[in-house]
Amino acid sequence: MPGKSFFIDTLLCMACKGCQAACKQWHDLPAEKTVNRGTYQNPADLSFVTYKLVRFNETVIDGKLKWLFFPDQCRHCMEPPCEMTADDPRAIFRDPATGAVIYTADNKNIDVHEVIESCPYNIPRTARDGTLAKCDMCNDRVRNGLLPACVKTCPTGAMNFGDREEMLVMARRRLATVKKIHPKAKLLDPDDVRVIYLVTEDPMLYHSFAVASNSAFDISRKVALNKLLRPLNRLTAGL
Amino acid sequence: MTNHWIDIGNSDCILIMGSNAAENHPISFKYVMKAMENGAKLISVDPRFTKTSSKADIYASLRSGTDIAFLGGMIKYILDNDLYNKECVAAYTNASFIVGKDFSFKDGLFSGYDAKNRKYDKSKWAFEMDKKGCPEMDRSLQHSRCVFRLLKKHYSRYNLDLVSKITGTPKADLLKVYHTYTATCATGKAGTIMYAMGWTQHTVGTQNIRAMAIIQLLLGNMGVAGGGVNALRGESNVQGSTDHCLLWHIWPGYLKTPRASNVSLEAYNKKWTPKSNDPLSANWWQNYPKYSVSLLKSFFGGNANHENDFGYDWLPKVDDGEVYSWLDLFDEMYRGTINGFFAWGQNPACGGANAGKNRKAMANLDWMVNVNIFDNETGSFWRGPGMNPSDIKTEVFMLPCCVSVEKEGSITNSGRWMQWRYQGPKPLGNTRSDGDIIMELGFKLKELYKHEGVSFPEAILNLKWDYMTNGMYDSHKAAREINGYFLKDVTLKGKKYKKGTLVPSFAYLQADGSTSSGNWLYCNSYTEKGNMAARRSREDAVNKIGLYPDFAWCWPVNRRIIYNRVSVDLKGQPWDKEHWVIRWTGEKWIGDVPDGGWPPLKSLEKPNPKSKWAFIMRKHGYAQIFGSGRSDGPFPEHYEPLESPLKNNLMSKQRMNPAAPVYTTDADSVASNSPEFPIVGTTYRVSEHWQTGLMTRPQPWLLELQPQVFVEMSEELAKEKGIKNGERVKVASARGSLECTAIVTKRFKPFKIAGKVVHEVGIPFHFGWRWPESGSEESSNLLTPATGDPNTRIPETKAFMVNVSKL
Amino acid sequence: MKVTRRKFIQISGAAAAGLATGNLGFDLSPVMAHAQMLKTKYAKETITICPYCAVGCGAIVHTSKKGDGRVINIEGDPDHVINRGSLCSKGAGLSGLVENENRLLEPMYRAPYANVWKQVSWDWAIGEIARRVKKTRDADFTKKNAKGQIVNRTTAIASVGSAAMDNEECWIYQALMRAIGLVYIEHQARI
Repeated sequence: MPGKSFFIDTLLCMACKGCQAACKQWHDLPAEKTVNRGTYQNPADLSFVTYKLVRFNETVIDGKLKWLFFPDQCRHCMEPPCEMTADDPRAIFRDPATGAVIYTADNKNIDVHEVIESCPYNIPRTARDGTLAKCDMCNDRVRNGLLPACVKTCPTGAMNFGDREEMLVMARRRLATVKKIHPKAKLLDPDDVRVIYLVTEDPMLYHSFAVASNSAFDISRKVALNKLLRPLNRLTAGL
Repeated sequence: MTNHWIDIGNSDCILIMGSNAAENHPISFKYVMKAMENGAKLISVDPRFTKTSSKADIYASLRSGTDIAFLGGMIKYILDNDLYNKECVAAYTNASFIVGKDFSFKDGLFSGYDAKNRKYDKSKWAFEMDKKGCPEMDRSLQHSRCVFRLLKKHYSRYNLDLVSKITGTPKADLLKVYHTYTATCATGKAGTIMYAMGWTQHTVGTQNIRAMAIIQLLLGNMGVAGGGVNALRGESNVQGSTDHCLLWHIWPGYLKTPRASNVSLEAYNKKWTPKSNDPLSANWWQNYPKYSVSLLKSFFGGNANHENDFGYDWLPKVDDGEVYSWLDLFDEMYRGTINGFFAWGQNPACGGANAGKNRKAMANLDWMVNVNIFDNETGSFWRGPGMNPSDIKTEVFMLPCCVSVEKEGSITNSGRWMQWRYQGPKPLGNTRSDGDIIMELGFKLKELYKHEGVSFPEAILNLKWDYMTNGMYDSHKAAREINGYFLKDVTLKGKKYKKGTLVPSFAYLQADGSTSSGNWLYCNSYTEKGNMAARRSREDAVNKIGLYPDFAWCWPVNRRIIYNRVSVDLKGQPWDKEHWVIRWTGEKWIGDVPDGGWPPLKSLEKPNPKSKWAFIMRKHGYAQIFGSGRSDGPFPEHYEPLESPLKNNLMSKQRMNPAAPVYTTDADSVASNSPEFPIVGTTYRVSEHWQTGLMTRPQPWLLELQPQVFVEMSEELAKEKGIKNGERVKVASARGSLECTAIVTKRFKPFKIAGKVVHEVGIPFHFGWRWPESGSEESSNLLTPATGDPNTRIPETKAFMVNVSKL
Repeated sequence: MKVTRRKFIQISGAAAAGLATGNLGFDLSPVMAHAQMLKTKYAKETITICPYCAVGCGAIVHTSKKGDGRVINIEGDPDHVINRGSLCSKGAGLSGLVENENRLLEPMYRAPYANVWKQVSWDWAIGEIARRVKKTRDADFTKKNAKGQIVNRTTAIASVGSAAMDNEECWIYQALMRAIGLVYIEHQARI
């Protein structure tokens, strides 16, 4: 399934948070009560009602100050560990047309904490009642030919969205250009995810979950495989 | 903006100084990034490393309030290294004018200074005139008293060492900025400046911008695509509200508010209509009487006629030499001479400098009318911090107005584009549009004065007041009024126009009462062709530089880049062949709407008699490197802010701008060079809030993104004070204090000023006690001083002195 | 009840859980059907210009054609030549300004020395304001200044605002204020 992908060029992100507001607006998500913790980053983290978050970090590299911005969101993995861990399409499924990984409220047959643990990017968040939520790729918009709300609103072209092949081409082309000035530039996990970031510095400087640890996908594949071997009745136990 | 947003994408070098566009005008960065993709350089100059700086090729820090020193150094660099566009400077600016012998500059003072009144006698800066009454010129720029030579002399003092000592900018950074920006002097290269309140809110605000305008003129960056002097205006319609002159000193279309000495319409028109004896000067303001009479006809309709001077005397006059600006208004209110007050979609309890003074002043009022979308710190001032309602007599009427999407009308953006917007939902609840409230108040007043008219009821009764349809305010009727009508059948330029038809453009307005126009600048915006502001064509003009001439409408006469006659040489051919703005084909101009349709000059020695000098709005037709009309001197000069960390101005003996106003009530404490307040303070905005925050703080999604007022400070200062990141601290000035959350950051660095370490901190000005409902977040304008620029009286809220302490 | 998007998903999820057919053991169609239905599908579309900064970005307002006729969505106008569909956080959150429970919905009056607001009618409020204007103006009105020049003004009333008004409103506003005789007319452009 080629499906859709995002290309997020952090070099063009200026942290206006238009994406955060557009996401809340489209999804009718309530505002969180936040405090200023000595940073422009707010809310502090993703949550059950915050699917998109621009992460801020100040760092000095080779004597030069950098203010790095990282618009964090679900990566909609090509082989989503969360989907495999849940192993219950009533709870987590993928839209075959777009590749969007969608969470529903029907989580009574899955181990929510295992799902959270399985995510190499630390994305899923729960409500008090244990319901899971995260970015849904604005699948309703996308299936109707619109861009996801965050991409649509992005002023500079930092956020891009389209057919996966097209995004991969765009990402690679941009990387080649950017590398001339920023030799450390790279794409983050482009083969594993549908949300491909371009960064110019060490990814850890942007966010500790910017990239999946090397083994993350292997482990999750094993977990998934184990689960597939479990008796099928577990799947239907709740019905 | 002389240019417009899309045009930024055509630039080769973008200087962002006095603004933080990435934070506050995020969509502008669509075009900044586009220019950078095409190889443009981005330079960010700011006291603090900002979101803009994070995207820049070059970042240079400077201490708030020292921009003229920084830019003066650039002027010197241009002149020392011969980096100016000689043809442009000689042909289009007053660099060649000979200044009279009375002009001098010594110890920081220009000639003609009157210390007692803090005023200059500007006649001492006059140009020498020839027998015909035209300015004497030396196009070779050699005469010892020509503007160019005086400019050179004036800025010879702005050497790198001194500039660096004043600004705190390292010399290497100064050189990097100067070198990179002045590279735009090359033919076909364009540099642009994006500035905002970081330049205007100073006692030297006007001269900050003049310094940059001089640079742009020297480099040949005016009128060209990707160039110009671009003020990034901060409110959706602050351009339009200024064009319609909601200001004491001007009438719609930048006409003058009459002075008491303008005793008749004739005297008024004579006083304000400039005269040029040079047939090659378009001197566009010679049309002044056409615009003033057409405006009076709009005010009073059929009641205005020759016999009653078109109602000229019905309108209020101001006393000569007096100032009625914002700062003066609140000073008077504080002194108790103002009894009634309207705050219309504005929040002076948080937005005005020295907000504590404004809040106290409001308690002296008999009544206040506050029109807003939300309850706010102004309307509810009587129940604010430190107020005891039982001591406050002020009656307050709080009127709920609707939101922009609930009504129909136009606004004008920073690029002068007038854009129409439509009604989505109806006004929520019992809210009304401002238009409906204004109309209703007008009707009530007319009714009262009709029956009980004692004091001069004429103006109110004669006011034309028919902007209603089916009992509701009708923005289309008002838009037509602003554009204007023919009031009788006329034949002009060989064409007949029937009474009642809309005037096609201001070139058709008349001084005899046969036309009306509420604002000559907008005459052409709503014509028999339709509502021009509502146009939506996405087709570009022939020069393909993003003018989109049929999308919306812009003043004047849909000219998208003003001063565009400077973008071509004397033969009318563009300096920049790729991004050209206008071009003379031999018969006509193509591209943008030219600054007048006259043919090119051809040569300076034997100019085409049918042509005109390039700067058509100036009396003599030239851009003013020497600005003899300014209150504080013809050349920008560095002075320290009212409150400074320094005892002396390192540039001259004049510590602060000698012409800046000083207010003296007990609420106007000042502490300069004081150990009690040793830290430079400045204010700014964040992306998620807007102005005093009244349209953002009660909006939960936005409050979530930036929930509290903060103070940003360097790690060095925080260490000195023992302040930890994220903890609440107190920031105080001589006038007030507030609690803020400390953001300790690498993005602020201590300055080295004249060998001394000077810290600076910054606070966003969006907050106030009413929202969020915790009541804990206050306005940074409690700190700022009520003084301002002598030309504009814009307050100095960008550079003042504070202290920061742990709670 | 206002059904939020989140609740929709919950409801849909529950609906999906109730149907167990097909080779997966479930029928996902209700979820998918929901995923394809836009909340703006049956809304009226109008164009507007963002009311915040002066870039002048275009936006599309989606207003419900049914029920209360309120705004359900506002997003960037892709046909606008300046912003081409994009909006910053303020513009992207514009619907939250319109549909906002903190909005003031009725005229309010605070009497001298009172410590509370009182709700009043429009008619009463405008009528009383006009009377205050007249009283203050008439008591202070200056026909001639100290030099004997005609000035026909009052300096006892001041008015500030507003860059938040439309052009047409600005024009009629200044006409009225000037006709009353105000010289203290100022607004955001000064500060």
